[in-house]
Amino acid sequence: MDLVHLQRQLVDYRTSLYHEGFLDEQFTQLQSLQDENNPDFVVEVVSLFFEDSERLLNELSKALEQQIIDFKRMDAQVHQLKGSSSSIGAHRVQKLCIVFRNYCEAQNVEGCLKCLQQVKHEYGIIKTKLESMFQLEQQILNAGGSIPV
Amino acid sequence: MNSSNGNGSMSTASSSGAWDGRDQFPAGLRVLVVDDDPTCLMIFEKMLKTCLYQVTKCNKAETALSVLREHKNGFDIVISDVHMPDMDGFELLKHIDSEMDLPVILISADATKQIVMKGVTYGACDYLIKPVRIETLKNIWQHVVRKKARNTLLEIKY
Repeated sequence: MDLVHLQRQLVDYRTSLYHEGFLDEQFTQLQSLQDENNPDFVVEVVSLFFEDSERLLNELSKALEQQIIDFKRMDAQVHQLKGSSSSIGAHRVQKLCIVFRNYCEAQNVEGCLKCLQQVKHEYGIIKTKLESMFQLEQQILNAGGSIPV
Repeated sequence: MNSSNGNGSMSTASSSGAWDGRDQFPAGLRVLVVDDDPTCLMIFEKMLKTCLYQVTKCNKAETALSVLREHKNGFDIVISDVHMPDMDGFELLKHIDSEMDLPVILISADATKQIVMKGVTYGACDYLIKPVRIETLKNIWQHVVRKKARNTLLEIKY
């Protein structure tokens, strides 16, 4: 595929992520922070987000498997996930965290389990989509082009 | 704890009052940002650096307090997350208030009226809700100036 096509594909893909509510304006903020001094800023922050989120999701899974569930600790973890997902613009994950926190507060195990599944699902989707987007960007760079804003 | 500014080292040369006298005001504002979330901390650091502020970042409130105690007059303002495992933002704010005369901005993903009220009554000069936009951070220098002006007025009165 030639450069122009790749660039168009990237723009279309990015636009669809916003339209479908996977990403919000905050992601645009991140992109505007990237410059020649920090050309990999977005990839670095998002990678950090992936690492940290996976840790949190694992801990939440473990917490819900316990005999005695520590809802307070879970709430703090979901709160953190809400903060980080909102900071990178992962809109759907952020919205689910709000619901999740309500179930934690109500100490509703069923609700928490269901929410955790949903968060894991949405997280998986946004991870795949962002990785695809980064791959497209890399292809463009390798072809000697620049990333369209 | 990570410390970063233009030279990659902690700057302790500046004394209070020197920052706002410089030519490139408000560039060079010395900010200490505290958040246990690594993603948010990285984003804050980049945003603050883009504002041309001098940034030091900490992922623990205890570390932040040590840094502040070791470098009296080394900072102009503190930005801290509320929910942190070792010491929360409110406790950090109480310490800073009693030991130093620094404006403190609290940040959280929590936006309930009660918690914002708590922040304000504890003496936070502002309470920001995540996600924080860079436009908001561009204005934080006003809190530093306001506090100084208020302190000066108090000195004149008494």
